[in-house]
Amino acid sequence: MNKIITYGLLIISSFSFAQELPSLVLKDLDGNDINLNTLVESENIFVFSFWATWCVPCINELDAISEVYEDWQDETKVKLIAIATDDTRTKKRVRPMVNGKGWEYLVLYDDNQDLKRALNITTLPHTLVLKNQKIIQRRTGYNPGVEDELYEIIKENSN
Amino acid sequence: MRKITLFIVLIHFSFSIHGQTIDGLSVGFESNSTWYNDDKKTGDFADEANKDQDEHFRANNYLKIDYNFLSKLTASVQIESYEPFALLNYSTNFEGTNLGTYSLSYKTSNIDATIGHFYEQFGSGLILRNWEDRQLGINNALFGGKVSYRLLDVVGLTAVYGNHRVGFETSDGTIFGFNSEFELDSVFKWDEIALNIGFSYVGREDKIDLENPNYKPTTNAFSGRVDFNYRNFYSSVEYVTKSEDAIVQVNQVSNDFIKPGNGILFNTGYSKRGFGLDATFRRLENMSFYSNRKKSGNIFFENIINYTPGLTKQHDYLLTNIFVYQAQSAVSFLDPALLKAGEIGGQLDFFYNIKKETLLGGKYGTKMAFNAAYWSGLKGTFDYANQDYETEMFGFGSKYFSDVSLEIRKKWSPKWRSIFYYVNQYYNKKEIEGNFGAKPIVTNIGVIESTHKLGNGKSIRIEAQKLWSDSEKHDWIGGTFEFNLSSKISFYINDIYNNGDDSSTAKTHYYNAGGSYTKGATRVGLNYGRQRAGLVCVGGVCRFVPEATGLTATVTMAF
Repeated sequence: MNKIITYGLLIISSFSFAQELPSLVLKDLDGNDINLNTLVESENIFVFSFWATWCVPCINELDAISEVYEDWQDETKVKLIAIATDDTRTKKRVRPMVNGKGWEYLVLYDDNQDLKRALNITTLPHTLVLKNQKIIQRRTGYNPGVEDELYEIIKENSN
Repeated sequence: MRKITLFIVLIHFSFSIHGQTIDGLSVGFESNSTWYNDDKKTGDFADEANKDQDEHFRANNYLKIDYNFLSKLTASVQIESYEPFALLNYSTNFEGTNLGTYSLSYKTSNIDATIGHFYEQFGSGLILRNWEDRQLGINNALFGGKVSYRLLDVVGLTAVYGNHRVGFETSDGTIFGFNSEFELDSVFKWDEIALNIGFSYVGREDKIDLENPNYKPTTNAFSGRVDFNYRNFYSSVEYVTKSEDAIVQVNQVSNDFIKPGNGILFNTGYSKRGFGLDATFRRLENMSFYSNRKKSGNIFFENIINYTPGLTKQHDYLLTNIFVYQAQSAVSFLDPALLKAGEIGGQLDFFYNIKKETLLGGKYGTKMAFNAAYWSGLKGTFDYANQDYETEMFGFGSKYFSDVSLEIRKKWSPKWRSIFYYVNQYYNKKEIEGNFGAKPIVTNIGVIESTHKLGNGKSIRIEAQKLWSDSEKHDWIGGTFEFNLSSKISFYINDIYNNGDDSSTAKTHYYNAGGSYTKGATRVGLNYGRQRAGLVCVGGVCRFVPEATGLTATVTMAF
C-alpha cells in the first residue's frame, strides 16, 4: 500500500496544475453570500490568504501587507481576500479583530473549512495568487519579508 | 519514508518545469513521523495503547486527491497510513493503511449532492458538526448521503443521513438531520440590515441492548437561531434542545438516570475601524451527544455529533497553555463532592488601535487586544443518592475557570516590532478534570516577544516567558529564539522549565529545536525535543497526552 501511495505521488507530482477555485459560496462579515467564482471574474490579480485569529504568523503577514496595501492597490489593482478559517470557538473574534486592526481586505468565513479542505491546505498561513481564475502561485508559512516576494509575483503578473 | 518523500519533492520540481497540465486535479499530502527515544527524564519509550515497546518509529501519512470532471462532478479520496502504528496518543482504531474517506459530489449553483464521506455543520455546530483534525486524530465525517439546495440566495436547505467514521470503520449508531436557513433581508430588500434565521433537526438512533429500557433508541435535537446585523452592530442567539436520554458515565449507561439537555449561545458586538467589542454568553446542560452512547466522553472524540469548544481565548505561547479550560457540557455524578450538569459563563473581547502620531500611538500606532473569560458550573439542587438534579436557568455554581489577558503590539521602527502579553488565570483542577486532591491554582503569565528584521529576508525573533503562581508546584520560565535565514529557511529553539516542586514536571527542561524549509506550498520540518505531559489543544478541543521525547519530521505538500 505504501508503494502505491509513493507511485501515485510520483505520477501526480510530475504534472503541474492550473487549478481553479471550487464553486463555493462563503459568507462575508455582514452575512452576505459571496460566490467565489463570480468574485474572481475579472482580469485583476487576486490574493487569497488563509488565516485564523489564533495564528500569529498569519496575523503578522496580514498586518505587514496592511501597511503597504494601499500602494499595492494603486499600482496593480490587486485584491486580497482574507479567508478566516476560525471555527465556532474563535469565529466571533474575527470581525472585531479585523476592524480593530483596520484591515481593508474582504474577509470571508470558512468556519467548517470547506474551502480549505477542497484546496488541500494543511498548514496556516497559506497564500494563493489567482490570475484569470487560475491559481498561479501557492505558498505556505510566513517569515518577515515574504510580503515583498509576494508583491514581486503580483507585479510580474499584473497588466 | 522520509527518503521517499524527499525523492518525490525532487521529482516534482524537475518535472513541473516541463510538465503537462491537468485541469481539475487537486492533491494534498501530509506526513508526520516521529522516532521516539528513551529519555532519562521522560522515561523509556512505551506505547500502552498498542502494548508495544519496540516500534520506536511511527508515521501518520495522509494523501488526499480531488478530481473535478464533467464540470459538475468531483471525486475525492483520502488514503491514510499509520505504520507500523500511529503516533503516540492516537486512537488504536487508526491502524494500518487504508482508504480513510471517499466521496462523489455533484455541484451546480444551487444544488450540492454528495454520496460517501462528507463534512457538515449546522449553525455554530452546537447541534451537529463533522470535522477533521489530524493533529488531534479527529475525523468524524459522516458516511452516507447529503443534499443541499439553495433558492435565490434566500433559502438554504440541507438533509443528511449517515454513520460516523470511526477509525477505518463506521459507527453502529445512525445520524439523520435537516437544516434550513432563511435570509429575510434579501426577501424584504433591506440594505442596512441583515437578518438570517435558521432551524435544524438532528436525530441519532443507537440500539439499546436492555430488556426494559427507560429511554428510547432515538434521541432528537432541535436548534433555532437568529443572526442580526445593523451597520456596525451585530447580534446572534441560538437555542438547542435535546430529548431525554440515558446519562453515561465512564462508559456505563444508566437506565435510571434519564435527562434531557439544552444549550443557549448568545453573542453581540460592535465594531468599526480601529475598534472592536464582542461579548459571548453560553450555557450548556447535558449536551454530550454521541452516535454511540457508550462512547460518551471518550478522549479521542470518536462518535461525537456536536461541537462544544471551550469559549476562552486561544493563547499562543507555551506557558499560557499549561492550564487550559475544556468545555464542561456533560453530566457527571462520580462523587457526592463532585456533581456537574454543565457549564455557564462567557467571554468579552476588546480590540483597539491607538492612532499614529499620538502620545501612546507613537509613529506607527499601537494595537491592543483585551480578553476576559469566566466559566462556572450550573447552580441547582443535586441529589446524588437518587441520581437526579434540578438546575436554575441563570444560576452560577462553583467557579471552574477565569482568564484575563492583555496583548499590546508595538512597531518601533521599520525593522523592530514587539508584542507584550499578560495573562491572569484561575484553574479549578478538581472540578474541570475530576481530580479530587487538586486545589484551584491562580497563575500570572508575562511574555515579551520581539522581531528584528536584518534585511535580505533575514530576521530574528525572541520570546521571553514567565509564569508565577500561588502554588509551590508551579513556577515556570521559558524562552524561544528563532532565526529566519531567508523567506524559505528558518530555525528555532525553545525551552520551558518548572522551578516549582510539581512531581511530574519539576527540574526538567522541555526543550525543542528544529528547522523548516518552505518552497511554494511544500514545507519540510525537522524537530527534536521533549513533549510536556498535558493538554494538547486545537480549535478549542483538548486531549491529554503523556510525556515523550523524539525526533519528528513533517512534510506537507499541496499541488
